[in-house]
Formats: sequence, structure tokens, C-alpha cells
Amino acid sequence: MTTTILDPTSEQAPATRERVGRPESLAGLTVGLLDISKPRGDVFLDRVEERLTAAGATVARYAKPTFTKPAPADLRHEIATHCDAVIEALAD
Amino acid sequence: MVPPTEARVSRMLEGTTRSPDEVVVLVPPNLVECPVEKVAVNAVMAGCRPEYLPVVLAALETVCTDEFNMHGVLATTMSVGPILVVNGPIARQIGMNSGINVLGHGNRANSTIGRAVQLVLRNVGGGAPGGIDRGTLGHMGKQGFCFAEDEDGSPWTTLAEDRGFDRSQNTVTAFCGEGPNLVMDQLSRSPESLTRSLASSLRTAISERVVLGMDGMLVMSPEHMSRYRDAGWDRARFMAELTECLMVDTDSILGGVDGVEEGLPPEFAGHRVPKFRPGGLLVVHAGGPAGLFSAVIGGWKNGPGGSDPVTREITP
Amino acid sequence: MHDIDYLERRGVPGVFVASDTFIDAAETQSAGLGLDVAGVYVAHPIQDRTDEEMTALADGAIDALLGALTGPA
Repeated sequence: MTTTILDPTSEQAPATRERVGRPESLAGLTVGLLDISKPRGDVFLDRVEERLTAAGATVARYAKPTFTKPAPADLRHEIATHCDAVIEALAD
Repeated sequence: MVPPTEARVSRMLEGTTRSPDEVVVLVPPNLVECPVEKVAVNAVMAGCRPEYLPVVLAALETVCTDEFNMHGVLATTMSVGPILVVNGPIARQIGMNSGINVLGHGNRANSTIGRAVQLVLRNVGGGAPGGIDRGTLGHMGKQGFCFAEDEDGSPWTTLAEDRGFDRSQNTVTAFCGEGPNLVMDQLSRSPESLTRSLASSLRTAISERVVLGMDGMLVMSPEHMSRYRDAGWDRARFMAELTECLMVDTDSILGGVDGVEEGLPPEFAGHRVPKFRPGGLLVVHAGGPAGLFSAVIGGWKNGPGGSDPVTREITP
Repeated sequence: MHDIDYLERRGVPGVFVASDTFIDAAETQSAGLGLDVAGVYVAHPIQDRTDEEMTALADGAIDALLGALTGPA
């Protein structure tokens, strides 16, 4: 006689996706900087903004209300609508 | 760990009237749809009896909410986890412990309900320790932390009543907290003295330099409660007196005071603030009949950026 | 990382920055999401750093960030 043991996990292997295609250069593009609102992340992003601007990109700054949750839907949508690329920082 | 055979899972599902394929919650961190049957499999593994299943289901409905923020509770390096308090007749009906060793071992329902919730978070949600679960130290309650309030032995309204439910309702309240810290006061005979004494321990919850941003829980033992019963203090009187004892002069907790760099920034100087935000201290009556001890349990970041306590009714 | 996953689904290339104690957390979450989310790691700790130290960390990360967001056409 066999005994069947049931699986306690979700039994879901998420469909694996490739990263979306990258541009050759960020020059002339809009790069969103999403601050997750942990202390010191803003100073890091200030410098990243300077460097990106020097590289010819336009920078748009955003901040999540809290680092403990994903960004609200309207903020995500705004970034997706206005930016060509995004950098999210800084988790520690 | 009990192997979840088909027969055991089937018996477990008899503990609820809900359909096995009904989706109970989206389980963080992977936000996976979790049907009743998956909860039952994990409840079997945890060692639950079928009559505990409605409590496990309701507990998952409390922690998998935006207010409780289970994803954040897992991901934080602070060593906190869900602490589940059961109120209502169901606690007695399924044999939960609200007495001796209430926060510890020795009772099947207390030991396994919280464990089942934790297993669902890991197995279904993907929140494994060392992966998404980043607690620097963790605590033993992250194995599962569930207990019942001693309602019959208390002269006060219950935690659930304090949170808008009535005594006939079965509820589970989830609070995000650390492990329990013992408070000893064996000499206070008056409620005024004991209140000041409890406040001196509550002020140090998490850190004496943390005010307002984190909630707390006080588990008051029957012998400590007897001081308030004898003096005729109800919950409201106690909370009012305690709140006054928990006012903190910010000048005493500024960064740099007493040679300690941790603390509030200088712009907060000159204020007097409460240790806990209004409603931010949950008081529960539980414990063995003898022993002049209570317990303080510090919380995590509160409010929309952290975790708020959540109470849900337990349904069959 | 849920944010980057969402933005990549919307066609926006993304990269997150975390301190290097979070490498295994990020890998676990990537596996859960089904996307190898681009990440750049900087030296832990962060919260007690001075402005100068944070600026230096950003300078040290900029090439990796540009690399994560650009590629061959």
C-alpha cells in the first residue's frame, strides 16, 4: 500500500522571463531615480543624479512612502509612463 | 513534523466549512494565492487538530493584510514576528492555554496554530529565514507564537473588546513583536506603585530612546491584575494612569545624552511625548495564578510604513 | 524588487541598489518573481555613513549601474 504525502508548497514555479532590452546608451533618455526612503539613500542618489546628468541623461526623482512595501500603484505607473530606465536605491 | 498524508489533510479539512479550493489570502512575500487545502496541509505538518483550522485561517487573514505588512515584517532585520492572541469562546472549546506557561510550551493548540501560520508563510509564500526573512537575531516566537487571553479571570474588558468586538465573538489579533521580556515586581501593593513599576519597564521596550514609532504589548499576570481588581481600577483607569507614567522628556533621550550617540535629533529637544502612540499599547491578561511577574513585548515600526495590529473574527 | 519586476513588465529597464548583505535575499526574491532582477551591491553598512562616504559609494557604483541599464542594440 502506498501513502501519498501532499505538497505543502505553492507548487508554482514562476514563469521565467528575460530582462527587457536595454538601450545602447542613456544619453538623451529619462532615467527615474526611485528612493526607497531608507536613511542615507538620498545622498547616494544625489551623486548618481550628478553622474547621470553628466552622461547626458535627464533625471526624474521619485520617492516611495516607505521602504517596507512595494511602491504604490500610481507611483509605479507614473514612473513607467515617464521614464526610459529606472534605478531604485538603497536597500540595506 | 507530521507527514501530511491525504487522509490527515482530509480530516483537517473537516475542521472548516470552507471549500478546500477557496482562496484564503495572497501570501507574502511572493504574493501567492493560498487555498484552504494548502493551509490544511501545513496545519497537519504543524501538528494542528482539525478544530484549530478556523483559527489558523483567520490568523492568516490578519497577517496577510496591507496593515499588518507581513512582507515588511519578514524582510526587516529587526527580530520580530507575528504574535497571535485569541479571544472568545473558541479558545476554551479547542483547549487553548491562557494560564501557566501561557507564552511557552506545553499546549498543543498554542504550540501548533502559530507554527502552522509560519509554515504557510515559508512554504507557500516563500518567506524563508536567510532568504527574505532577514531577522538579525530572530526569536523563538518565530517558530510560532499564539496564546489565548484569560478572559474569565480578568475584571477588565478583553483585548478584543478593546478593539471593537464583543465577548461572544471569536477573534484573533496579530501584533508584530519581539520575544517576551519578564517584568518583576513582587512588592507593589498599590495600583499606583505597580503602574509606575510596569511603566519603568515599558519605557525601555526596544530602546528607551525609541518613542511613538513602535508599539508594544503588555501581558499582565493574574497576581499583578489582582492589585487593580482590589483597588477597583478598570482598563480605562489603568490606561490613563499608565499613559501619564509613560510620558518621556525628549531631553533625556536625545542623541549624545549620557555619552550615547543613539537618540533623537537635536530639533526634538524640549518636548514631553508619550512612549507609545494612542492605542499603541496592547494589554492582555494571561498567565499562571501565582507569580508577581508580567511581560513586555516590544513591537516594530508602526503605521503605514510598518505594521499595525490587526484583529479579525474567526469564522467556521 | 517587486517595483523593478513591475517596471520591467512595463518595458522599462530597471536596476536596484542594495548593500552587499542582501545578495542572498535578492537572489531568493528574484527566484520567486521569475526574473533575474538586475542589482548592484555596495558595501554594508549604510545607515551610519557620512555624506562623503555615500558619495564615494555612488561613484564606485556608477559604472555598474550604467552597465546594468544599457546593452548592445
